[in-house]
Amino acid sequence: MRFIFWGTVLMLVVLIAPTCVEACPACKDLKEPIGRGFNSSIFFMMAMPFTIVALIGGSVFYHYRRASKNRDRMGSS
Amino acid sequence: MLRDTPDRLPQDVRPMSNARLGILVLLGAEMMLFSGLIGAFLVFRMGNVTWPPPSHIDIQLPRAVTGINTALLLLSGYTMFQALRAIQKDRVKQLRNWLLLTGALGVLFLGVQGSEWAQLIRSGMTLQSGVYGGIFYVLLGCHAVHVIGAVIWLFIVLGMAVSGRFAASRHIGVETCAIYWIFVVALWPILYVLVYLA
Repeated sequence: MRFIFWGTVLMLVVLIAPTCVEACPACKDLKEPIGRGFNSSIFFMMAMPFTIVALIGGSVFYHYRRASKNRDRMGSS
Repeated sequence: MLRDTPDRLPQDVRPMSNARLGILVLLGAEMMLFSGLIGAFLVFRMGNVTWPPPSHIDIQLPRAVTGINTALLLLSGYTMFQALRAIQKDRVKQLRNWLLLTGALGVLFLGVQGSEWAQLIRSGMTLQSGVYGGIFYVLLGCHAVHVIGAVIWLFIVLGMAVSGRFAASRHIGVETCAIYWIFVVALWPILYVLVYLA
């Protein structure tokens, strides 16, 4: 019960006052150029794993579909 | 029983060969490597109010020559694509010619890059001369190492093509090399825009 209470309090603090719990001192102030630099870099690198998974997954899916169609065509002829 | 395994099937009805899957995974790792380097570049580029920094303000990057060099590398991507199409149609002689042309364009690209670097080093921009020089040589040097690797791989494939190891039904060696080459080619315009034009 106590865990749920303090967990809820902590979550509210995080949601209401996010600047109090910022972990990274470098990207705290986005008005500073270095903050903007870190911010752009983090977003870019964060997007990359999703891009890679989408590319590899898309490629595998495309090749399986193409092979399946070719097999069907060979079977019908 | 063996007849039903994917390796025994004709190439156009196989779902995906292990080699093709392997090269895709390798390219995923390469993309992560370059995204880390580009991320570092973005921190330095956007973290500095003036770019190049005041210590390198007098250094002019050879944008025009590198632009022409970019066009040459893109052309090598087209010739590599033609090489792949040639072997898919079982035209081995055309494959050799296109591969040779692709390799020559790759070597030319490396030569022009090398001469540009020599000029920049003579004008005082080195790996140790600050953030600008450091990120420039690390980012573009990493790409150049990949181009060298791709050229070596391409000439090995060319040697195999000369000895008649490829045919329309058996050309996974050409295909994996082409995928890697096109990755290296497609990466360069991004780096060119970031480092030379942005």
